[in-house]
Amino acid sequence: MATIHNTIRTDTVPAGTSPPAPARASGRKRAGLGEKTIPYLLLAPAVLVMLVLLAWPALQVIGISFRKLDLGELVRGEVVWVGVTNYTEVLSDPEFWTITLRTVLFTAAVVAGTVVAGLLIAVLMRHLTGPVKVFVQVTLVLAWATPILATTTVFQWIFDQQYGILNKTLVKLGFDSFQGYSWFSSGTSTLTVIGMLILWQAVPFVCFTIYAGLLQAPKELYEAAAMDGASAWQTFSTVSWPTIRPLVTLATFLSVIWDFKVFAQVWAIRGGGPDGESTTLPVLLYLRGIAGRHFGVASAVAVLMILVLVVLTARYLQLLLRTREGDVS
Amino acid sequence: MKRLTKVMAGAAAIALATAGCAGSGGGGSEESSGGPRTLTVWLMNGSAPETLTDALNKEFEGANEGVTVKYEVQEWNGIQDKLTTALASQNPPDIIELGNTQAPSFAALDVLTDLTADVDSMNGGQWLQSLKASGEWDGKQFSTPFYAANRSVIYRTDMFEQAGIAAAPTSRQEWLDAITKLRAKFGSDPQFQALYLPGQNWYTLLSFIYDEGGDIAEANGTEFKATMSSPEAKAGLEFYKELVEASGTTAPKDNDEQNPEQAGIYGQGKVAMMIALPWELGTAAKDNPDIEKNSSAFPIPSKNAGETAPVFQGGSNLAIPVNSKNTDLAKDYLRLLLSDKYQTQFAEAGMVPGASTDLSALDANPVSKAMAAASKNGRSVPATPTWATIEAGQNPLKDMLTAYLTGVKDIDTATTDADTALDAAFTG
Repeated sequence: MATIHNTIRTDTVPAGTSPPAPARASGRKRAGLGEKTIPYLLLAPAVLVMLVLLAWPALQVIGISFRKLDLGELVRGEVVWVGVTNYTEVLSDPEFWTITLRTVLFTAAVVAGTVVAGLLIAVLMRHLTGPVKVFVQVTLVLAWATPILATTTVFQWIFDQQYGILNKTLVKLGFDSFQGYSWFSSGTSTLTVIGMLILWQAVPFVCFTIYAGLLQAPKELYEAAAMDGASAWQTFSTVSWPTIRPLVTLATFLSVIWDFKVFAQVWAIRGGGPDGESTTLPVLLYLRGIAGRHFGVASAVAVLMILVLVVLTARYLQLLLRTREGDVS
Repeated sequence: MKRLTKVMAGAAAIALATAGCAGSGGGGSEESSGGPRTLTVWLMNGSAPETLTDALNKEFEGANEGVTVKYEVQEWNGIQDKLTTALASQNPPDIIELGNTQAPSFAALDVLTDLTADVDSMNGGQWLQSLKASGEWDGKQFSTPFYAANRSVIYRTDMFEQAGIAAAPTSRQEWLDAITKLRAKFGSDPQFQALYLPGQNWYTLLSFIYDEGGDIAEANGTEFKATMSSPEAKAGLEFYKELVEASGTTAPKDNDEQNPEQAGIYGQGKVAMMIALPWELGTAAKDNPDIEKNSSAFPIPSKNAGETAPVFQGGSNLAIPVNSKNTDLAKDYLRLLLSDKYQTQFAEAGMVPGASTDLSALDANPVSKAMAAASKNGRSVPATPTWATIEAGQNPLKDMLTAYLTGVKDIDTATTDADTALDAAFTG
């Protein structure tokens, strides 16, 4: 767009009417200092807020990860540097690697599920009209707007061993083995329930984001595709997909960050159990930091989590660096 | 250069999204002034009746001129974080209340004032043994007992009568017989439960294990080794399962007595017994006011007829933060609170006093009476600082119960796994 405007402008400006150059130069000189500093002054509050709220805590966490900081040190105000002890302690624990792998796989599964479901519903919504469309949209907004813990409680009720509606329904349908079936007796089954819970809460945002992108696709292109006899899949892949691709990438990136660090739902469902089989990295962080009060070790876990996230999102960060104006298609 | 900046900005953004905690501490310094002083006291919600604390604070202010007691009631929810922050501050409260299972985790970290020399002057001869033990670390006393409570079997007298059970059970066998009779009488109602017992009521499991002569762990100085796979502990676990099966309870096997809240289920009137703390009957009565007069309680029966099973004794301890600037006043306050005068009032309020062996005031109410009877045989969890982590984090005993009761693991695997998990936590 910008290039088009520039071309038009240069084309329409008559060649002979160049503005008086000296006057313009002197004007620029007069305002020189102010013009240069004003952008920085305007940016300063935001930069300051970011430094205080973002950079400082991050640096603190990194600093603490090299200290022994238990409740005792905290109360006595001691600063005990221990080098990389916290990191060796965390990294030499085989459970850390199990938990990291579990967290990465869990994140991948939930993000894939969220994006696919969001995409499908978004495409569906484009084809819906009238009250049905309104109904779907209201439903999505409600699922999104419900507080996390309220939804979590509802899910706990649904999957309750004795009183849950799911087991009761399954038994009514003839699956008698679900009488008193415990959905939380293994880590995989527990994580599946948690995954569905997170999916439930995450799909609306992704769906609306992609739907907004779909609305941008020019109607004429769809009409042209229809006239050319394109199949539904061809229409999607040649008309819809190029328009929404950047948004899908963005939604995936954000979902990775959100789902990787999700804590409340995992903790509320079974506290990372049974036998720690649904423990993810944020839960480990909580166990070490808040429950165990080894703040140094917990900070090391936090720093390692950031590193894992950077690795996971490396591709997106790379795209972000290569392109301008946030266009990451 | 620009690349690097962008990468750093990205990393910082992620850091913000994930970073949980950051903190810094300040040093404390001893300082006392001659002018008016304020003694800050933090007690927990539900611990002491207001009439008692009002009288106590008034008496203390009267006896110490120029001293004001700043009395603040705290909520249990999130108290560990709040205490951590408060203890680290320059100006911590002067007296704090700690859950007895949390107490060692504070004592072991040198954040509490050593009270060893003051035990005698604080009515030490009358202290409740299990709470005294939870206040000790490495041979020193870091917190004093406050009050205790333990579970007993709350039951429906009307249902027992209709089922033809003449007296409250006093042995495991009588208990099981009572369950059989109750089911025979009321079993036609599919919602009836002779005993409501969820799978993860580990406090009750401890009672059975203690009764068999076992324990969670054995201590060697300040080192602990889990003993869940001992024959005694296994026998306790077996009895838990027997009870779950005999009672036909429909309580979830993969959850504890608070999820769903068992008092609410008892309050619906279809449950003949629950193993609960005295005030849970009050909670049940909120839904169903009639239930209180039709309920009574008996101590958890022992396998030896006529005895009561040892119980897990929950309760609170009192301590003085090491950064407190009014240690002398705080000790005086504790002396007054632990004196016979106020301890008797605790018993009258329905709690087992931490520093009085006189429990006669509890006999007025049948439910408190059952608790008092069992409290003489009260025990606590291993006095290790790591136990607080287990309770605040992941409790292997709960996992063990669920795995065994649902048949996911056999008794050997379940108990050995619990030992491994506990030992890992003890060294945590």
